[in-house]
Amino acid sequence: MGDLLHLGTTLLAEGGAEHGAAHHGANFVGLMVYLVAIIGVVVYLLADAKKGLNNRYFTRWTTQRLEQLYLFVENMAVGIIGAHGRKYIPMVMTLWLLIFFGNLTALFFATSPTADLSFNLGLALIAVFYVQWEGMRANGVGGHFKHFAGPKLSGALMILTPMIFIIELVSEMMKNLSLSLRLYGNIDGGHKAAEAMNELGKSAYVPFGAFLMPLKLMTCVVQALIFTLLFCVYLSLVTHADHGDAHGEAHAH
Amino acid sequence: MNGTPFALGLAALGVAIGLGLIGSAAMSGMARQPEAIGKIQTPMLIALAFVELVFLLTLFLGLNMVK
Repeated sequence: MGDLLHLGTTLLAEGGAEHGAAHHGANFVGLMVYLVAIIGVVVYLLADAKKGLNNRYFTRWTTQRLEQLYLFVENMAVGIIGAHGRKYIPMVMTLWLLIFFGNLTALFFATSPTADLSFNLGLALIAVFYVQWEGMRANGVGGHFKHFAGPKLSGALMILTPMIFIIELVSEMMKNLSLSLRLYGNIDGGHKAAEAMNELGKSAYVPFGAFLMPLKLMTCVVQALIFTLLFCVYLSLVTHADHGDAHGEAHAH
Repeated sequence: MNGTPFALGLAALGVAIGLGLIGSAAMSGMARQPEAIGKIQTPMLIALAFVELVFLLTLFLGLNMVK
């Protein structure tokens, strides 16, 4: 039972580290108990939300909140990509939920998936290669690579085109790095900052790091938002829509 | 003595100025045209993310040097 209480903050994690155990705040059994609890709550909320779907307008708060979440992501996708962005909503929503709940884990546990650079790099690779795939689907393989070559130049300026091509390729590769490093840095940096502040208050038994919680919560939301936002921006760059249609759709909201 | 903390502080200074500039510009834009808040927020967040990345890169370099 004592191990169960070893779940929360980094302060507790440090306390655990003192008597030799190298577990990161949560041991396996404790983690599973939390997992079961979270799955139970999620299933309950989903069942409750689904019950509310029978009404003509939604009166249950669960249904309303989940609808708001969906509308938030839909507005982002449609607002940035354009009218044809609606078909990317499943992908955007998946990324958003995965990152947001990964970040939320960082609030309560000493470690979290998004505080791991490998996980973030995997997410970024998926995002960037999905963008390449969609670009090839929208413009054809040749058209997609023509994208990288920049504008059509004539005469002596032709020598610039290969240079632009190389630079664009490099910047495409750097998208992986920037997406993953940003997420990793923000979440892991939050942990590091909390640990450093806990160290400050150690002699007085004040967990100063806990006061960072609101800031970390904001970081969670903003980082999930920024990742999916940039994903949408990259998508909108490679899949050009006919603009009149897109704007009409955006204003309708 | 290792100069890394000082260097990180310097990086934080520059990035804070950059973030402040973006924030202030966005704030004044929003104050002038409250109806454009939705349109201003998205590019603002993107710009914030890019500026923030600079500090994170500095942070990684700095932490590697401490090791």
